[in-house]
Amino acid sequence: MTRLPQLICPAGSLPALKTAVDNGADAVYTGFKNATNARNFAGLNFTDTQLAEGIRYAQSRGREVLIAINTFAQAGRLAEWRASIDRAADLGADAIILADMGLLAYAHKTHPQLKLHLSVQGSATNFEAINLAHECFGIRRAVLPRVLTLPQVEYVIKNTPVEIETFGFGSLCVMAEGRCILSSYATGQSPNTHGVCSPAAFVRWDNQGKIMNARLNGILIDRFDEGEPAGYPTLCKGRFAVQGETYYALEEPVSLNVLSILPELIRIGVTAIKVEGRQRSPAYVSEVTKTLRAALDTAGDEGYAVKPEWSTALDKVSEGHQQTLGAYSRPWK
Amino acid sequence: MKLPAPLAFIARRLPEAPPSFALATALNLARPKFWPEEDFAWLTGKTVRLLVSDLDRGVNLTFDGQRFRSASLPADVTFGASLEDYLILARRQEDPDTLFFQRRLTIEGDTEIGLALKNLLDSTDLAPLFALLPRPLAARFGL
Ligand code: SF4
Repeated sequence: MTRLPQLICPAGSLPALKTAVDNGADAVYTGFKNATNARNFAGLNFTDTQLAEGIRYAQSRGREVLIAINTFAQAGRLAEWRASIDRAADLGADAIILADMGLLAYAHKTHPQLKLHLSVQGSATNFEAINLAHECFGIRRAVLPRVLTLPQVEYVIKNTPVEIETFGFGSLCVMAEGRCILSSYATGQSPNTHGVCSPAAFVRWDNQGKIMNARLNGILIDRFDEGEPAGYPTLCKGRFAVQGETYYALEEPVSLNVLSILPELIRIGVTAIKVEGRQRSPAYVSEVTKTLRAALDTAGDEGYAVKPEWSTALDKVSEGHQQTLGAYSRPWK
Repeated sequence: MKLPAPLAFIARRLPEAPPSFALATALNLARPKFWPEEDFAWLTGKTVRLLVSDLDRGVNLTFDGQRFRSASLPADVTFGASLEDYLILARRQEDPDTLFFQRRLTIEGDTEIGLALKNLLDSTDLAPLFALLPRPLAARFGL
């Protein structure tokens, strides 16, 4: 039988973690309530007590907990990041997800037993970069940015001893992760400096009659007519007036969905499939985990096909109007 | 669930202070059990309004650094949804983002406080809270 990839699900809170485990995640990824976490939002994430309980819950059921410490350490505040790595090791995390090379070096030296994953924020898109991180810091797994086509992912896998994790579902960040400065341009804060793109503090929705405006730091990013689905004003997914035409000039607000290419991902040897969305609710986590579990369990079978009920379930929780294969499929390449 | 017409008629005319006060009291009771480690700094001195849009009535809450209190308008952030959708959210039958995408849940004003509140509720196990509701009321809401 073919080896199925691990299903890695997001947990921004303890109820989300438990839901993910109950619905068939092989591993969950979480983070601390501090600047080391690229999803550092008020009310989200784990205190040490909650994390300890979450780890117990998952590990006693044979699942893993990965802790993301995936922002870049700020100059002069290195101690906070190192302390978080030490805490993750003490709590008994199955692996930590890092992007910063200095932190990778620290973790590798200080906690040689701890498994290290290279975060998507590390922006390693080729096997040379991944193999270098393997030689220098002993990374066991790399999460690929959502910019590679399927043949490119396969090429990477063929040329590295490091396990490869790819994204399977959720909102898309279209730039080589961490290298986009759109959010910085509008708000002064970007994913790698503040752990958030298009931060909530700058977001305003206001209603004019039946029309809803979505603004980021006062800049109109999108406008939704009556009955049109609303969205979060993520900068790259706004509608902009370009040469007299107003449209999604950078990227459509679509969700990544790899259900239709699961057999391909299995064939090329992807180790793990990751679901985006630590900022989302337990209801989202439960729906997506359940659906991907069902799909993965049959994806190795002859005659696998995407079931309509899976698509309906995922449609409901997706931002935007459609689902896409994103960069995996670029037939013109 | 929809309120029967006569009840809705009355609800639309009720003052907002008593339910706001009741909610603040309930939250003060629930706090040590549900959020022992949460300091509510993000809510301190801010007013949140939960508007039941089909009744055009709501509750207004603030945190004074020690306790939840009922508050007066204007609010810093206002959520709007029908009574039915609030119950759907409370029962975790739908994801709040899904209701937002579908325009059934609106949020106006300070988005950061709004999202902090959403995240807090997401990370709270609400079942014991419902156990605190008087039985007939809970049954009425299908909880
Ligand atoms: S603006 Fe878009 S592409 Fe840039 S970091 Fe944000 S989500 Fe990614």
